[in-house]
Parts: sequence; structure tokens; C-alpha cells
Amino acid sequence: MSDRLRAVSGQVIAVGVALLLGAIIILMVGESPVRVLMTLLRGAFGDQEKIAGTLLQTTPILICGVAACIGLRGGMFNVGIEGQLFLGGFAAAWVGFSFSLPAGIHTLAALALAIVAGAAWVAIPAYFRARYNTNEVVSTILSNYIAVLLTSYFTIFLFKRPGGWSETPPILATAYLPEIFSFSRLNWGLAIGLLLAVGVALVFRYTSWGYGVTMVGSAPKFAEYGGVNVKRQGFIVLLLSGAVGGLAGGVETLGVHHRFMEGFAPGFGFDGLIAALLANGSPVATIVTALFFGALRSGSLLLEVDTSASREIITVIQALIILSVSAQVLIRRRGDSQAGERRWKF
Amino acid sequence: MSNAPGSPPPQNTAAMAVELAAITKRFGAFIANDGIDLAVRRGEIHAIIGENGAGKTTLMNILFGLLQPDEGSIRLNGEPTVVADPAAAIKAGLGMVHQHFKLVPSLSVADNVFLGMEIRRHGLIDHAAQIARTHELSKRFGLHVDPTERVGLLSVGIEQRIEILKVLVRGARTIILDEPTAVLTPQESRELFQTLRSFVAEGMTVIFISHHLEEVMEVSDTVTVLRNGRKVATRPTSELSKDELVRMMVGREVSFDRRPRAQLHGDAVLEVKDLWARDDRRLPAVRGASFTVRAGEVVGIAGVAGNGQTELAEVLSGLRPASHGEAWLKGQDLTTLSPAAIRETGLAHVPGDRMVRGVDRNASIAANTLMGRQHRGPWSRGGVLDWKAIAGNAGALIKSFDIRAQGSGDAVKRLSGGNIQKVVLAREFTNGADFLLIDQPTRGVDIGAQEAIHDEIMRQRAAGRAILLISVQLDELAALADRILVMFNGRIMGEVAGDDADEDRIGMMMAGVSPELEPAQ
Repeated sequence: MSDRLRAVSGQVIAVGVALLLGAIIILMVGESPVRVLMTLLRGAFGDQEKIAGTLLQTTPILICGVAACIGLRGGMFNVGIEGQLFLGGFAAAWVGFSFSLPAGIHTLAALALAIVAGAAWVAIPAYFRARYNTNEVVSTILSNYIAVLLTSYFTIFLFKRPGGWSETPPILATAYLPEIFSFSRLNWGLAIGLLLAVGVALVFRYTSWGYGVTMVGSAPKFAEYGGVNVKRQGFIVLLLSGAVGGLAGGVETLGVHHRFMEGFAPGFGFDGLIAALLANGSPVATIVTALFFGALRSGSLLLEVDTSASREIITVIQALIILSVSAQVLIRRRGDSQAGERRWKF
Repeated sequence: MSNAPGSPPPQNTAAMAVELAAITKRFGAFIANDGIDLAVRRGEIHAIIGENGAGKTTLMNILFGLLQPDEGSIRLNGEPTVVADPAAAIKAGLGMVHQHFKLVPSLSVADNVFLGMEIRRHGLIDHAAQIARTHELSKRFGLHVDPTERVGLLSVGIEQRIEILKVLVRGARTIILDEPTAVLTPQESRELFQTLRSFVAEGMTVIFISHHLEEVMEVSDTVTVLRNGRKVATRPTSELSKDELVRMMVGREVSFDRRPRAQLHGDAVLEVKDLWARDDRRLPAVRGASFTVRAGEVVGIAGVAGNGQTELAEVLSGLRPASHGEAWLKGQDLTTLSPAAIRETGLAHVPGDRMVRGVDRNASIAANTLMGRQHRGPWSRGGVLDWKAIAGNAGALIKSFDIRAQGSGDAVKRLSGGNIQKVVLAREFTNGADFLLIDQPTRGVDIGAQEAIHDEIMRQRAAGRAILLISVQLDELAALADRILVMFNGRIMGEVAGDDADEDRIGMMMAGVSPELEPAQ
């Protein structure tokens, strides 16, 4: 228990340090950090529409975060969620505008293909990892670029809607993820994300399979010794992570945009990964961290209207959070290693 | 850059190149070096020998400034010196060739040799001069390399030569080599020894870390033996025999009482036939081992650490492929099975590398006792874990194996070494397997826990289990084993009954002399 407390307090301190540095930068551009913070809070939680807007931003970050958690749990760093999200988004749109199916079934079919597309996209790096021990960080990062450009190609050359925009035809209304409120585009995708986070946490905690995967992630040689097939589980975990990444794209397409367009969901995959890291790989804690990043994004919309700070300051703060969280993790690991061992030289 | 080899050595006439006095280094509660004195004469090849974990590398890292001693002092060439960091060591004329090389694969040999101290002309790197200088040095000391070749294309043996050349151009007069032959073929080792002799012929000094007896006997002038962080002795090599060396390395400190031998042997449970396996460097580590373990007996495997015991254990547990041969357990050939299938067939394994293989340090005791049985009832039903049952079982194990912990929710890393080992034993001995593979059961475990662990092994034997006990501690084997097999260089040199486990005979075999008094090579 005290371990968990230490981990949580470490993350909180890391975020605090990042926000402090962010405040200094805001001062340097000649704006008041307090005003920026108040504007952010107002922009994120000011009224029910703003809260709904924040939750709308939170949804894809949460689902991508859960995708990252699945990978992290099995010791796999899936940095390709962004790409899986793009392919999943396109696949769902394709089902949405190419077929006509009864409402509900249409939605499910589109989401199913999004899941398959995400899993298929990560299957290539996952196979190379299992077969040749290729570093999955590098191969999944690189696969992002291919995914983004590939979906652009599909959109512009194969399925372009007649007219000006680089986007596919709109999907049929039968494939929509229904909206929850009349005043916002917030949709049942949020519920999918919440259920998924809790469900994944339960599977890891309470199934034999989840136990094996957890051990592969935290002590691979121990897992191998105990009879867990480390390579196979690594492969499976990456596939599942990619599947959920694809699902995130499907939810975004069916719930928000109702079509696929170039650059339809910029950076959600990466934000999700950061949310998962900040949550120490816990899917349930990712609900909180995804909300934090969602609030930052949605609050920043007001920033340029009401203050002289630019929206990019949020990107700066996010980068500072990444830096301080990774520094925090490294420092904690150093404390864990045998006293006196010189692991990091400063 | 001024004092390249061959140029006149720094003006000093002290007889001792290196003097370490009362060096102590602790890592937490663990004492890696305990008051070690070491004097190395100028112009000799001085071997430092000891088993894995004896403190050799720590001592050399202290000498080279990579670690700072907690106590003790260093004199180099008679001068008291504080070696604050490797730069200071290099300045004082020391050079170290590490076990792991630090070369840039995309650069040429000569560029690697001069990396960080390039020869310049008009502000640019003078490649021609670097190549010429590398060529000259490599010829002079028999370190055959092509200075223009790219390092990424070269073999490990040649990479080592480059590391040695790097040390030479930095002006080293005393060269430390940490287990240099570990990565070499026998042929390359012989060439390396030639080079080392040419160094001392030029008045340089060589310190050579090893745990291989033959090469120490072959190449060194003086030997210092370390054991468990202490110095055992420093002796001229010519006055030593191999088995004396073994005895000093392995020691005979704690003497356990001999346990009563097994009264009845059952049927053969494990039959190993002509088993071969390679180590991580793809060199043969197990060479044609054949033996049988019967129900209700303890078969011990003795040997100096690093003679194939680890690889043998890994093959039997499915963690390493066999390159040849068979190992039959209950009608199944283990060499064809996965670790999971071997466990299913009936293996319990207490691994030698307890902290990495045996437990997940960050997980709870309960989670650690689950490994290997997470798919079995009553812990799991239909793939869903029953944590209540698991914790209950772990609590019972804590009681019956006398594990000193608050409860089954404690993280394993909070326990002492002996109690962690008891967690491993508790898990493995209760999984109902017929064959127990026990590797170094009491390494790093306090005396009290050692007794308890030995009692437990005896109980398992009484219950009719077949036990293969691998240990580098002779007295442990003499106490527990009904028969002792001695391993040397991947081969089983011979067998002695536990009752007449006489250290001289076993020591001879551990040094590679077979019982018929023939040299093993």
C-alpha cells in the first residue's frame, strides 16, 4: 500500500513541477498564470456545455490510454496508437458509408471493423517483435506515419467526397453512436471508454491470463521460468492494444465527425499514451488522467479568446509533464536498484 | 597523448606498480570487498581469481576509479593516489579492458582507437597518421587488426584487440583485463596470452581477472585468490597446483553436519543421456552429460561456478534449448518441451538466480506463490482467479515454511534473502512434482535459514522425490547428497558417494583431473 502511495505522490509531484515550470513560461510571455489557470478552468468546466465538451475531448484520450495500459501491462510500449486510431477511424467510416444496415447493427459492425483494423495495423510490428525481437517502440512509432498518410491516400484518391474537402462521404445515420445530450456532441463513446477501463482492470486483476501478462511485464524472466510463453503473450498484448487503439478511432468517427477526414483526431493517440504513463499503467487511474488532458485541451479553446497566451502553451505544458513524469519514474527506479549501484551518472 | 607506449616510462623506480591496502566496499548490507590487500609487482602478469561474486570486478573497478572504496588506500608506483575517476586512473598510467566493449560500430578501427584523442593536422583529423600508429602498435604487440576496417563488421575477439589498443594509445603501463577470455575461442585466448607476455617483456604490468584455472596457471606469474569478498592468498603461480587453487577458491569454511543418507532408492525418475547445450555466446557449455536421478535420492552436482551447471539447469527446465541429447522424465523427453509442459510433466525448480528467475520482487508473496499454478484449481476456476484462496494458501505456506513476513500481502522485496528463498521453496515444493531441480539453494542465505532449507530438502527426499542439487558449496553437497557428480568444463568428470566425499578427490575433478589421474584435455 505504501508503495502505491509513493507512486501516486510521485506522479502528483511531477505534475506539480510541470505546472510550476509552465507558470514560469506563462510569466515569461507576459501573461498572468492565475488568469490562464482560471480561463482554463472556465473553458473546461464553466457550464454544462463546457463540461460536456471536456468529456468529449476526454473520450478518445481515455480509450487510447486504455490501449496503452494494455501494452504497458505486458511490458510492451505501443507508441503506434495514433496510427491505429487513424486506421480504425477510416475503417469505421468505410463501413458507415459503404453499407446500409439496420441501426445499431451498423454501428457495431463499424466498430468491429475498426477494432480489426487497429489490431491488423499493429500486427506487423508485433510479429517482428515476437519473431526477431525488434524494438516495438521504434517500429510502432514509424508505423504511425504510414497509417496517417495511408488513410490520407484512401481519403483523397479512393473515397473522396465530391466537393472541396479532403474527406469521405458522410456515414449513414444508422451507424451513428448516439449523442447523450441535445446540447453537445458528447456521445455514448464515453461510456464505452469507462466500461473498457474498468473491464480491462478487472481482467488483469482477476484472470489467470491477466496474471501471466502482468508477470511478463514486471518480471519477464520469472514469467518465462513459471511457464508463461513470454513472446506469445507479448504478441497478444500488442494486438489487443492495437485493437483498442482502432476502437478509439471508430468511436471518434461514429460519435463525433460522422465521416473520415484528414487529420481528424490529431494527437489523441499520444495524449492517451501520456495519460496511461501518468496513471502508472492503471486503466482506472487513466480515467482521471485522461480527464485532466481532456480538460487541458478543451480549456485551451478559450485561452486565445480571453488571454494573450496562445493555445500552444498547453502543448508546452504537456511536454513539461512528459519530461517530469519520465524523470520521476527514472529517479524512483534508481531508488529501487541496489544501494550504491551506479546506474545513472550525472 | 604525450606518454605513448614505447616512449620512456614515467620516471619511477618503485618495485610495486599497484598497492591496495585494506580496501573495503559495501553495497548496502552486502560486503563486496572486505579489507583486501593487493600488491602487484612491476613487470608481472598478476592473475586475480575467484568464483562469480567473489569481488574481483568490484576490486578492479575501485582501482580504476569506477567505484570509490568505503575504506582503504591505493598506491600507484609507490605514490599514494586517490583515483577519483577513470580519467585520473588513465593519467596515472592505468588502463582497463572491460567485459563489455564500448566501441562505435560505424567507425573504423583506427577511429575507434583514437576516439576522443584524435591526432589532428590543421585542425582536421589526420586519418593517415592514426592508421599508421594503429598499424604500428598492432604489429608490435601481435594484436592483428586492419586499422581501416569498420568495427561493426568484426568479431568479438578482434573487438577486444581494439579495446586493448585503445588502452595502449592512452599510455597505459599497467593494464587490467576483466575476464578477457570469456568471449574468446581457445585459439584467440592463446594469441591474447602471447600479447600479454609481450607487454611484460616491455616492462609493462598486467592484471588479469579470471575464474578459469588453466589459463591462470598458463599465463600468470602471481595469483591472488579472492573468496566471498576476502583475499585468501597471494602466491607465485609456479608454487601452486590446480587443486590447491580450487580449494582456495571454493573454501572449506562452514562445515555442515552430514545428514543421514537415503535408505531406499526408487526407480529412475530423470534420465539424462549425452546432453549438450550452448551458452549465451553460442559456445558449448554442457558437453555430453549423462546421469540418472532416482526417486528418494539427492544427486549433487559439484563444480567451480561457470562450468556448465547453470546451462544444465536451464536445459532441464526448458529455458535453454539442448543442442544434442535427451533428458527423460516420466516418459517425456524434456528437451522437446516448453517450460510450461515440463512443469506439467512434473518439475519443481528452485532457480540459482533467485531474484530474477525465482520471484517478482515487486509483487506480493501471494502473487509469487501463484506462479506456475495460475491455470489450476482451486486457485483458478474457468480462468478466473480466486484471490481469497490464493492468499489463504500463501498464509498457510508462510506458516509451514516459517517465512518471516507480516502477511501474504507483503511485497517480496521487503523480505530478507533467506525468506525470499523460502517463498521460492514453498511454492516449488508444494506443486506436487516428482523431480526437484534445486540450484544454489542457500547462496546468500543466513545460517539459520540454511538449516531450515536443508531440513526441507531432506523432507522432500523422505517423501520420495527425486532431487538434483546443484551447488558450488562442497560442504553443502557433502551434507545432503547421496551421490555427487563433479562437473568441469561442461563434462561430468566422475562420481563420488556422498559418504566418501573427500575434498581432495572432488577438488581434483573440479580442476579437470579425472579420477583415473589423467588430465581432462
